[in-house]
Amino acid sequence: MTGKTKARIAIAGGGLLGRLLAWRLSRRDLDITLFEAGDLSASEGGACWTAAGMISPLSELVHSDKRVYLLGLQSLELWSDWSRQLEQQSGRKVEYRRAGSILVAHGKDRSELLQFLRELQGKLGESARGQVQLLDANALVELEPALQSFEQGLYLRGEADINNQCLLPIVLSILRQQGVNLREHSKVSCEAGQISLASGEEQFDCVIDCRGLGAKGQIEGLRGVRGEVMVVESREVVLHRPVRLLHPRYKLYAVPRSDGLTVIGATEIESEDRSPISVRSSMELSSALYSLNPAFAEARIVETRVNCRPATMDNMPYIHNEDGLVRVNGLYRHGYLLAPAMVEQVVNQVTQQLLQVV
Amino acid sequence: MSDLLTLYGKTFSSRLLVGTALYPSPAIMRQSVQASASEIITLSLRRQNPAQQRDNSFWNYIREFGCQLLPNTAGCKSSREAIELAKMSQEIFQTDWIKLEVIGDDYNLQPDPFGLVEAARELVQLGFKVLPYCTDDLVLCRKLLDVGCEVLMPWGAPIGTGQGLLNKYNLQTLRDRLSDVPLIIDAGIGAPSQATEALEMGFDAVLLNTAIAKAQDPVRMAQAFKLAVESGRIAFNSGLMLRRQTASPSTPTLDMPFWQQAESMLQE
Repeated sequence: MTGKTKARIAIAGGGLLGRLLAWRLSRRDLDITLFEAGDLSASEGGACWTAAGMISPLSELVHSDKRVYLLGLQSLELWSDWSRQLEQQSGRKVEYRRAGSILVAHGKDRSELLQFLRELQGKLGESARGQVQLLDANALVELEPALQSFEQGLYLRGEADINNQCLLPIVLSILRQQGVNLREHSKVSCEAGQISLASGEEQFDCVIDCRGLGAKGQIEGLRGVRGEVMVVESREVVLHRPVRLLHPRYKLYAVPRSDGLTVIGATEIESEDRSPISVRSSMELSSALYSLNPAFAEARIVETRVNCRPATMDNMPYIHNEDGLVRVNGLYRHGYLLAPAMVEQVVNQVTQQLLQVV
Repeated sequence: MSDLLTLYGKTFSSRLLVGTALYPSPAIMRQSVQASASEIITLSLRRQNPAQQRDNSFWNYIREFGCQLLPNTAGCKSSREAIELAKMSQEIFQTDWIKLEVIGDDYNLQPDPFGLVEAARELVQLGFKVLPYCTDDLVLCRKLLDVGCEVLMPWGAPIGTGQGLLNKYNLQTLRDRLSDVPLIIDAGIGAPSQATEALEMGFDAVLLNTAIAKAQDPVRMAQAFKLAVESGRIAFNSGLMLRRQTASPSTPTLDMPFWQQAESMLQE
């Protein structure tokens, strides 16, 4: 770059990817504009608000490709570093926790744990062994005293989670500090070097499209996968890390948050419907939660959230790079697991493009 | 030699029906369906709030496979629920084929025989081509035929268990007594060898989902099932030999004196 004028970057989509990209790029000498179709400070909109914020490459490997696992490992390291930087820059806590995660199954579903181990070994070979610890009832209760009704469990020591309800506003506040142009209520479409708004076109040196399902129609095979979560509040039951309950049909995770809150989810339904949570899903989630510890019966349901995860037909993250345009999408159920690794890739591609222009 | 499967007047060359749930991704599902060479695929509307959406990307993707769609009523616990869902499926998928499931037990997803007959009767009257998922009980199967089902889908074992053909005695009875009814083994098939066995026994086809979708390599497992089903069918058509109690050499053994050969023949 010659340094005469700052290169102009447009980021379309103010979800997790858009915010992190704006933050990483704002540390360079660039003129950045972030477009968001809705409201950046409302805790609703994109799938990033609905997620439970788990960063669990091993647990997810069972349902996904090994590439997702490898990107996830990279993200885990980045999150450790980035969460520290975000806390320093903002003076607030992002509630990033690396305390591992636990998998349990009830007696008659015990084969689910074995199946999980088998699939892990099938995908990782012998290296899976060192990353998973089999817990007997005593060892399990030592880690999580609330899980008393299980004979065994698995401990995935390296996994982490982050409180998205803290993280997303903190990144936004930093973007404000850094002088990023924030354009809310601006529904756009993205072409190479150009953002189209209702009011007309604007030109940029590079456009980054991370609109999630907002890009439907511009990315082939992009679809929404419905997910439903509930937030419950309990003073009686305390968990210390994400817990997953394996069952032949229902899957449940419970992620403890500060203030006695626990986020439980999540269904996965091939549907782009965003209507409120169904009775069936809420019963399934509730009864699975109850089976973790009966004292959850008196927890209060303080919130339910429904959203659609943007996914491609192969459920793999999507990156498209051409002159003046980078599209990144399809993080599916792996938003927090994949975002930092994808952001690094996009930042590299954008930097390359800007170097070539000059 | 043509050896076609005829269901409700439509002919198919594949005798393997597959489901579309539980795959790692829609793309892998499509490759698996292709590898299985299936011409009939099941799909479930149950949780997708069908009233809300005509334009579902996932369903549009499945329509493009060009297979006969067989919507199911998975998860319905009463005949009323199943009938309503069947009507909605008919409207959305433009087919009068329905895989009828009425579940009587939540844990092992066992069919409710009473609700099943009730729902089948009404759906047949409404013009549906009903393929009921039923247990292996002969009397139940006859009642389903009485109310107008032309195809039956008895279970091998409970859904998703992969236990294979649990009650071969009952299944053989069904095959013998209902010799001119197309019978499809639905549910419980976990390994290709079990599918082969079903076809060897003379069942017309098998329907499965979990065994392929949850395999570590679903596409190759689909191919394994395709070959297994073909193999079982060819074996059935070729006439299986009867089991024997003792070994008998298929060629005369030169080094064995003739009186011992005679002795061993007598023992048979």
